[in-house]
Amino acid sequence: MSPIDLSVPAGLMLALLPSLVLTAWSLVVLLVIGWRHGTEADSRRAGLLSAVGVGLAGAATLWLWTGGARAAGVSHMVYLDGYRFGAELLVLFIALTTCLLSLRFMGRQRLIAPEYYPLVLFATIGMQLMVSASDLVLIFLGLEVMSVAVYVLAGFDRFRRSSAEAALKYFLVGAFASGFLLYGIALTYGATGHTNLGLAGQVLAGMPDSGLARVGLGMLLIGFGFKVAAVPFHMWAPDVYDGAPTPVTGFMATGVKTAGFVALVRILADGFPAFVELWQPALAVLAILSIVAGNIVALAQTSMKRLLAYSSIAHAGYLLVAVWAASPDGHMAVLLYLWAYSLTSLAAFGVVAAVEHVGARTVRIEDLEGLFRSRPWAAMSLSVCLLSLLGFPGTFGFIGKWLIMSAALERSQVVLPVLLGLGSLVSLGYYLPVIMAMTMKPERTPEAHRQVLFSQAGKLIIAGAVAAIIFLGIWPRIPMQLGRSTVKSMTPSATVAAEQP
Amino acid sequence: MPAFLLSIGYERWILNVLLLLPMAGVVLVLLAPERWARWLTLIVATAEFILALGLWWAFDPASGGMQFTTSVPWLPEFGIRYSIGMDGLSLFMILLATAMMPLLVWGSWFAIDTKLRGYYALLLALKTGMIGVFVSMDLFLFYCFWELLLIPMYFLIGTWGSANRLYAATKFVVYTFAGSVLMLVAIIAMVVTVGKGTGEYSFAYDHLVKNRDLLAPYAPYLFTAFALAFAVKVPIFPLHTWLPDAHVEAPTAGSVDLAVILLKMGTYGFLRFAIPFFPAFALSAPVAAVFVTLAVSGIIYAALVSMVQPDLKKLIAYSSVSHLGFVMLGIWGGTVESVQGAIMVMIAHGLSTGALFFLVGMLYERRHTRLLSEFGGVARVAPLLGTAFVISAFASIGLPGLSGFVGEFLILLGSFGRYPIATTIATVVVVFAAAYLLRAVQQVFFNPLVRDENKAITDATPRELAVLVPLIAAMVWMGLYPQPILRRTEAAARRYVETVTPYLTPGLRPPVTAAVGEQP
Repeated sequence: MSPIDLSVPAGLMLALLPSLVLTAWSLVVLLVIGWRHGTEADSRRAGLLSAVGVGLAGAATLWLWTGGARAAGVSHMVYLDGYRFGAELLVLFIALTTCLLSLRFMGRQRLIAPEYYPLVLFATIGMQLMVSASDLVLIFLGLEVMSVAVYVLAGFDRFRRSSAEAALKYFLVGAFASGFLLYGIALTYGATGHTNLGLAGQVLAGMPDSGLARVGLGMLLIGFGFKVAAVPFHMWAPDVYDGAPTPVTGFMATGVKTAGFVALVRILADGFPAFVELWQPALAVLAILSIVAGNIVALAQTSMKRLLAYSSIAHAGYLLVAVWAASPDGHMAVLLYLWAYSLTSLAAFGVVAAVEHVGARTVRIEDLEGLFRSRPWAAMSLSVCLLSLLGFPGTFGFIGKWLIMSAALERSQVVLPVLLGLGSLVSLGYYLPVIMAMTMKPERTPEAHRQVLFSQAGKLIIAGAVAAIIFLGIWPRIPMQLGRSTVKSMTPSATVAAEQP
Repeated sequence: MPAFLLSIGYERWILNVLLLLPMAGVVLVLLAPERWARWLTLIVATAEFILALGLWWAFDPASGGMQFTTSVPWLPEFGIRYSIGMDGLSLFMILLATAMMPLLVWGSWFAIDTKLRGYYALLLALKTGMIGVFVSMDLFLFYCFWELLLIPMYFLIGTWGSANRLYAATKFVVYTFAGSVLMLVAIIAMVVTVGKGTGEYSFAYDHLVKNRDLLAPYAPYLFTAFALAFAVKVPIFPLHTWLPDAHVEAPTAGSVDLAVILLKMGTYGFLRFAIPFFPAFALSAPVAAVFVTLAVSGIIYAALVSMVQPDLKKLIAYSSVSHLGFVMLGIWGGTVESVQGAIMVMIAHGLSTGALFFLVGMLYERRHTRLLSEFGGVARVAPLLGTAFVISAFASIGLPGLSGFVGEFLILLGSFGRYPIATTIATVVVVFAAAYLLRAVQQVFFNPLVRDENKAITDATPRELAVLVPLIAAMVWMGLYPQPILRRTEAAARRYVETVTPYLTPGLRPPVTAAVGEQP
C-alpha cells in the first residue's frame, strides 16, 4: 500500500475506513430495529447484526494494518501506524465481546430494547476515533460520541433506580470532565496555533515556559483523569460501575479506559514531549494515589461489581506508571496491559453477568459461594481471571505487570514499581476471598446457583478469553513482538513534519 | 549404570521429563474417571521417581558446575530463556521431592476420600513447581515456578485441610506472596542494571552472577528484597507465624510437602541466589550478625515453643523452624563443612520431619485428635508405629547414627570458627530438641494405657509400612554412611564457598577446620 496523503479527503476516508464501515453499519442496524423491535428475538437479531458489523470494521482495520498503511507527510487528523491499529482492534474486540455477552443477559433482565446495540456501536465509533486521532479536536469529538452513548447505556436498566442514578452521575461528572478537556484544548490551541498534536508539539518545543500551554496541559490531564477514573477523579466510578447493567460495566471498564489511555499516550508523547518534566510528576502522583486508594478501598467491598470497579481504579494507576515512563517500552506496556486487562475483565464481567440474579440489586461476593460445586468451569474461569488481574505468573496479566515494571525501572524509577508490587499484594486481599468463596465455601442454599445461565456465545467467549490469558501468559512472544513493532512504527507526526521540505 | 544412562541420552532429557511428566499426569488425572485418580497418580509418581533415580548415578560429583542443562530461547527479544540445570545442591532436593511423591500417594490413599481428582491433580502440579524451582537457571523462569507453587498449595490447604483451613490457607498465600512481590521488582531491576552496564539484557543466572559487581551499589536494597522472599519461606524467626497454621491445617500430604520441600526452597534461595548475587553485602559483618542472630533466636524460640505445645502436629511444625535455623547458621558459616552440613540438614530434616508428619497423620486417622493429652501407651497396642515414631524422633533430635546428626555436627564444626558464641548456644539448644520430642514420645506412646479409645488403636497396616520403612531406612543409611551424599554435594558446596570467600568479613579468624592438624 502506498503512503496515504491525509490532507486530501480521499486519503482521510481511506484512513478512517474502519470507523466509516462501522458508522454505515450502525445506521443499517438502526433501520433494521426500526422495522422489527418488539420481541426478544428481534433484540437478539440486532445484537448479532451488530457483532457482524464490528467484525467487518475489524477486517477493515486488519486490511489497513497488514497492508502497511502509513501516512505521507503530516498525520493530519488520524495516525496510520501499528499502535493505532493495535488499539483499534482492541476496541473492536471489546465491542464484539460486549454485544455477544449481552445477548442473553438483556433478555433475562427483561430489557427488550434493541436500541442497546446501536448505542454500543456508536460508543465504539467514538472510541475508534479517540485511539486514532492525531488532532485534539478529533479526540474531543470521539470522546463526546463515546460518552453520550455510554451515558445512555449506563442507565439502560430502567427497572432499577441504581441504573438511573449511575447514568445521571456519570453524565454530570462526564460533562464536567469534558469541560476541562475542552478548555485544555482551547488553551493549547491558543498557545500554539495548532490542534494537530505533532505540529503543536513542535511549536511547544520552542516555548517551554508558556504559561498558557502549562495550564492547558493541566486541564487535559484533569479531563483524562476523570475519564480513566484515576484518583482523585474517580468518585463516579464505583456507583456507576455498580449501577450499570453488568455487560455495560464491562464495556466501560475496558473500552473507555482503552480509549482514554491511548489518547493520553498520544497527547503526552506527541503533543507535550517538551513538557515531560511537568507531566511526569503529575502522573506519578495520580498513579500513587490510584494504586493506594483503589486497592485499599477495594478491600472493604462486598459487591462484586464495586470490587471490580475499585480494582479497575487500581489498574488505572498501574497503567499511569507505564504512561509515566514516556518511552517506547512504556508505550508498549500500555497497549499490552490494556489488552491483558480487557481480556481478563471482559471474561470476569461475563461470568458475573451470568451469575447475576434476575432483578437483583447487584452481585455480592457471598452470592458466589459454592459456585465451584455447581458450575466448576465458571468458577475456574473467574479464578483464572482474578489471578490474571492480580498479576500471577502464568497469566497474561503477569506479562503486563512485568512490562510496566521494566519500563519504569528502565527509567531508573524505583518507587513506582515497588508501589505496583505492594499494590498487587494488597489486591490479593480482595481477589483471594472471592476465589475462596467460590471454591472452598459451601453454597448458601441448595438453589443458590440454579439461575446461572450462560449463552452459547458467552461460554465460547469466556472460554476463549481464559484460554488466551493462560496461553499468552506462558507464550507471550507473538503479542510482545507485535507490541514492539507497533511502537517502532509510532512515527511521531512532529518528526515526519520536520522531514518535510 | 552411568554408561547405560549415557547411551540413552539421559542427561539431555531427564530434567525436562521430570518437569513435564507430572503436568501430563495432571491432565490424565483430570480426564480419567475419579476412581482411577489414585492409581494414575501412583503410576506417574513412581515413574517419576524411577526416572529421577538415574540422577544419582549420572551425576558427576567432581564437577561443581551445572549439569544436565537445557537452554532454549523462550522470549529471546527480552533475554529470557528456558534454561534449566542442576548441581549437587539441587540434586538431593530433586531426589527428595520425587522420592516423596509415591509415599504421599500411599499416605493419602484412604485419608482423602472426597474430590479425588482435584486433590491428586494438585499434588502432581505441586511437584512440577517444586522441581522447577530447583532447576531454573533463568530468573524469570525461577520466579514463575516460585509463585506458581502457591496455587496448588493454597487449594490443598483450603479444600482438604482441617477446621481452620481457610484462615491458614489465606495466611500462607499472603505471607509468601508478600515476601516475593519485591523480589520481582529486584529481579527486573538487576536485569536492567546489568543490561545497561554490559549491553546485554538477560535473565540468565550465570550472566547476572558474572556481572554482580555492577549490582554492588544497589546491593542493600536488592538483597533485602531477595532475602525477604526467602526468609518467609525458610521461615526465619519473626516471619515464621504462617508455618504452624499451614502445617497444622493442611492435610497430611500437604504438611509433608511443606516440610520436605517448600521450606528448603528458602534456604536453597539463599545459597543459590541471594548470597552469590550480593556476597559482599550479605556477608558483611552487620548483615551476617543479623542473620546469625535470627537463626539462633529461631532455634531457641522454636525449641521453647515446642516444649509447651499441646498439639503434636504443631510441635513438629515448630521443630522445623528450629532445624531450619541450623541450616541458616550453616549457610552463613561460609566453610565447606558448614555448607555441606546445611545441605545435609536440609535432607535429613526432610526425611525425619516427613516421617513424623506421616505418623501424626496416621494417629489422627485412628483417633481424630492430635492432642498429646488424649494419647498414652500407644506403643503397647501399636508397636510398629511406636518404633517408627521413636526412630524418626531420634533422627530429628540428631542422635549419632541417624540422619540428623551428620548435618548438625558439620554445621557446628564449620561455623564455630566464625561464630563461636552463636554456635555454642546452638549446640546447647540441641538438648532442648531432645526434651520436647522425648516428651511427645513419652506422652503418646509410653504413658499408661488408660483410655479405651487408645486401646482400640490398630497397628500400622502394610500400606503405612510401605510409607514409613523407606523413610526410616534412608535415615539409618544417612546416619551410618553419609559418604555418598557428602561426595555429591561437596563440589557444589566448595564452589559456593569459593564464590563467597573473598567477601568474608576480614578480621575474623580463619575457619577452624583449616587449622586442624597443622597446629603445633
